[in-house]
Amino acid sequence: MASHAIETFALTKRFGDTEALKDLDLEVSEGEVVGILGPNGAGKTTLIRLLLGLLMPSAGRAEIFGLDCHSQTVEAHRRLAYVAGESNLWPTLTGAETLYLLGQVQGRVDTQYREVLVERFELDVTKKVRALSKGNRQKLSLVAALMTRADLLVLDEPTSGLDPLMEQAFRTCIAEARVQGQSVLLSSHILSEVEVLCDRIGILRAGVLVEMGTLAEMRHLSALTVEATFDGAVPDLSRVPGVTMVEVLGSSVKCQVSGTVEPLLRVLADSGVRELLSREPSLEELFLAHYGSATTGQSDASNAC
Amino acid sequence: MLVEVQSEASSDSGAVSSTVIARVTARKAVRSGFGWGLVFGFYVATQALAYATSYPTVASRELLVQEFGSNPGVSALVGPATQLDTVPGYTAWKCLAVLAITAAVWGILSSTRLTRGEEDAGRWELLLAGQTTRRGAATQALVGMGAGLVVLFITSGVIIVATGRRSDIGMGTSGALFLTLAIVAGAAMFSALGALAGQLSSTRRQASGYASALLGASYAIRMVADSDTSLGWLRWLSPLGWIEELRPLTRPNPLALVPIAVLTAVAVLFTVYLAGRRDLGASTLPDRSSSKAHLRLLSGQAGLALRLMRPTLVSWAAAIIAYGLLLGSIAKSGGKIMTSSPSMQLVFERLGVTGAEAYLGFALLVMAMALCFVAAGQISATRAEESSGRLEYLLVRPLSRTSWLGCRVALATGILVAGGLLAGLSTWAGAAANHAGVRFSPMIGASINVVPPALLLLGVGVAVYGALPRVAVSVTYAVLVWSLLVEITSGVVNVNHWMIDTSMFHQMAAAPSVPVDWTTNAVMVAIGALSALLGLGAFARRDLKGE
Repeated sequence: MASHAIETFALTKRFGDTEALKDLDLEVSEGEVVGILGPNGAGKTTLIRLLLGLLMPSAGRAEIFGLDCHSQTVEAHRRLAYVAGESNLWPTLTGAETLYLLGQVQGRVDTQYREVLVERFELDVTKKVRALSKGNRQKLSLVAALMTRADLLVLDEPTSGLDPLMEQAFRTCIAEARVQGQSVLLSSHILSEVEVLCDRIGILRAGVLVEMGTLAEMRHLSALTVEATFDGAVPDLSRVPGVTMVEVLGSSVKCQVSGTVEPLLRVLADSGVRELLSREPSLEELFLAHYGSATTGQSDASNAC
Repeated sequence: MLVEVQSEASSDSGAVSSTVIARVTARKAVRSGFGWGLVFGFYVATQALAYATSYPTVASRELLVQEFGSNPGVSALVGPATQLDTVPGYTAWKCLAVLAITAAVWGILSSTRLTRGEEDAGRWELLLAGQTTRRGAATQALVGMGAGLVVLFITSGVIIVATGRRSDIGMGTSGALFLTLAIVAGAAMFSALGALAGQLSSTRRQASGYASALLGASYAIRMVADSDTSLGWLRWLSPLGWIEELRPLTRPNPLALVPIAVLTAVAVLFTVYLAGRRDLGASTLPDRSSSKAHLRLLSGQAGLALRLMRPTLVSWAAAIIAYGLLLGSIAKSGGKIMTSSPSMQLVFERLGVTGAEAYLGFALLVMAMALCFVAAGQISATRAEESSGRLEYLLVRPLSRTSWLGCRVALATGILVAGGLLAGLSTWAGAAANHAGVRFSPMIGASINVVPPALLLLGVGVAVYGALPRVAVSVTYAVLVWSLLVEITSGVVNVNHWMIDTSMFHQMAAAPSVPVDWTTNAVMVAIGALSALLGLGAFARRDLKGE
């Protein structure tokens, strides 16, 4: 039982008529770093707020280290730390006061690590929160969570507002957490971040976990990206079996193929192809394949918002 | 709203974007001005009609004059009563003070919301990136606010003029309009002061605080001016006093419009001037952005709450102490007038209370009202922690919802009890310094006696907060304002006793002029405690909700 940092059982949340999360089953093992990807309104924040006991589930339940998220909230919270995408801290407190207060309420702080973090994120803790920029507030919020060295880090788009340098500092922290054996649940829509940091990735769409696996497993499920350049006119590829997302750019074409590539190859060979490039899709493309570009997928996603 | 603003700002350049702040502000101010115009208009109409029907005969009106024409307590609360034997005279006395103060509060809240509030929310950044300067933005917001005031005047004016045309009421059109003007003057002055405070402070909350303090001070000054005829000149030092000096429907004095217009104009000009001199989001008064860490209070949520409330609590405490000393020092003369009629003297002698104690029994009601505002403020602060998202930082840590809210309720209770004691002790001290003959132990009883209505309101507020957080603040203030209106109205007009009973203040015994009614107090506290428990239960079982 205790081998799971997070486990949800058919977790469901409805807001009025809208179903924000549907029968979600998610497992995060101890020591694992899991990323949740999805566009705005997919249910990432709802999922995280349910895990934290800030929202009440409409059905199903969730556990953190085997502790029920709603009946054993306080015990569960002793073992986790959370960073929200937006830092709404007390405007009249200084950074140092905020860190002290949150450490006291948490009841466990690695003060040495706190100093390391303050230095790493180049935080001026004598400034009052209201005088801090959005990015600096976010850094304060990150330090407050990381300094507890909690067994589980729950991070909801934690790098919003951070500059690339600070994003690098954040990645260092997650790498350290992994070494320490801490578990991490990271929600994001920055694909490269998840790609670099996470052992496993889940894709959340309209409240449903549509895909869950390691990066390798996810690639396997998806299509191959093919780019071809022609001497003459670009043939119409949209009717070729297995081909999707056709993009024509001048004399070249880019598309995705799932299943066998034979029908496509035949069409290309007949059309005088000059250059041919095929590769594994990037996470961006994986993502697009799940949400669609401008057609059906998009409208599905926006219905869910 | 933000989306609306954005689309407007981008839909057109030139003329549209250069007036967008004025139009956005005007739309909100006009909507609110229309709603409150209806409230004000109908309030005046019901007061006039109630008087015309309750006191149809000359004899019944004479009785009213005897009872209230020279009552110092009542005249300190809402101003002196002149020509109570006529419908216009009564209506003006009954409506002017109450509505001018309500209008002033409306002015403060609207103008700080529409200027500083919009700025705090970051909406102006979007607009200022376009073609408007900071000074232009402030001017536009003031113009928008002015549109709201005009609509407030027109809406309430139409209803009041229409009411005045009835033959049994007989307010002339010009008189009715002058009364409307006097009421709206309160809104005009204090919305201008609210906007000015918005330029001086760094948050909307702080701005509302400054402007409310001014309103409180002008009420206190006017109250002193009206408690003693020899102090009447003090009225000219108070904006609310100027409104009273307008004397609509009795002996109109348009001269008092001069200071009203001057104050409004000066505040408006200063607002525009200061707006161009500061950075967006910053304040004019010094605002230190760095500070040494003061960790003493920050070892837990209770200390945090105290630390955050400290400025508010200190100003309330100062106001209560100052007001208590003031009440105490005028108790002797107030009591003299109160017991001037032989029958009243007999009543109080039989009860064994001195004249000053009799007066304080009435006057301490204001302290109960003040404590209710403190209680409502506690609900508002509690809700603000949640709606701003700050509460999450505590609740994602090992702190249960029940302990968080329970701790806040306990703190609020302590604050209210301390406030009551402070009120009683400072009043006693003021009276003792003037040898007014107010005994210590009845005053302690009386100071505890002003607390239960506030505890009841706190409990009700917590119950609503637990179940329906988004309306908790408005419901709490609505209950408070309702009680105030019923209490003030029932003093004069015959109101159904069921309605009077809905006022928290009506349940309170007028200690120290009569003994404290401990049973009723216990019932009020019990209802409050039960409501608070229900609220705690509901809060533990619901979603946290933002704005």
